[in-house]
Amino acid sequence: MEVKSCIHPLPCTPSTGILVSGCRTEAKLAANTRKICSLTLNSCNYAPFSYKDYLFNRRNSTEFSRMAIGSNVSEDTDDMFDDLLKKHGKVVYKRNDQKTASEEIDDDAESLSFAMAVAKVASDVKAGDIKVLFVKPLVYWTRFFIIATAFSRPQIDAIGTRIRDMAEEQYGKVASGDSKPNSWTLLDFGDVVVHIFLPQQREYYNLEEFYGNAASIELPFENQQKLRGSSGY
Amino acid sequence: MIQPQTHLNVADNSGARELMCIRIIGASNRRYAHIGDVIVAVIKEAVPNMPLERSEVVRAVIVRTCKELKRDNGIIIRYDDNAAVVIDQEGNPKGTRIFGAIARELRELNFTKIVSLAPEVL
Repeated sequence: MEVKSCIHPLPCTPSTGILVSGCRTEAKLAANTRKICSLTLNSCNYAPFSYKDYLFNRRNSTEFSRMAIGSNVSEDTDDMFDDLLKKHGKVVYKRNDQKTASEEIDDDAESLSFAMAVAKVASDVKAGDIKVLFVKPLVYWTRFFIIATAFSRPQIDAIGTRIRDMAEEQYGKVASGDSKPNSWTLLDFGDVVVHIFLPQQREYYNLEEFYGNAASIELPFENQQKLRGSSGY
Repeated sequence: MIQPQTHLNVADNSGARELMCIRIIGASNRRYAHIGDVIVAVIKEAVPNMPLERSEVVRAVIVRTCKELKRDNGIIIRYDDNAAVVIDQEGNPKGTRIFGAIARELRELNFTKIVSLAPEVL
């Protein structure tokens, strides 16, 4: 490429013999000089080759040396990984704290029985419009919501204390949440959360609508009450 | 890390839009409040035609902080904003719905009402 470029600009033509020869010598010279030039110019191109070779050699040598030193290191790391793998396992396991489906159902049934008992107590103290919602599919932090309306603060207090007493005596559960009667009193038993509202607050917060996708559980005593009410009239 | 003069977003539909913390409730000389702490705040910006108005002093619970929340199991939760929920003196939320994700630590701190109104609990 370089040689071609240096012949091309010369004024020699193949028709004139001597000139041509002269030219050729010139051209050769020029070519040589250009070549030298190009070599010198391209020395930067060439240098990397040698440098690369040098690097390559060096890398090889270092690799060898590393291999020589690293034989112990790799064994150590292998041991370390073996230990770690032994400790944590090579394949994906199910978490130990997860329950089987049957246990889940048992837990659900237990919570449901507790929720029913709470609802029963609430209806005994004449709480109105009691609803038991199965919210487990919607929120992870609890299983059942019980929403009830009380018509005065003393009634809220009565419902709250009755439910607390019943839970502690029969199920050994202690509620967290509001200790004083409040317009929205909340008793948190973990799996079961009881909301007792005054009618105004119940309408305001409208929890049933918010948890509208939750399955509502029918209460056995509600029908009886209705029947009793209808028979009374 | 909420301290007096910190501006917070409001994560409910109470009508306030922005709060400024003016006091942290719970200790006499506390420097910062974190998730689940109650603060006294002043409403800096409010939605028109709502019960809460600008420059009203309210109580609020912090539900989200930019400062990381660390759990014992190694999970670290960091939100994009500082947000609070306006509550009344009894601890009932003033709004009826909470916006955005909140942390489950609020339930342990007896703010289950806020948790039960939230769409997502982390």
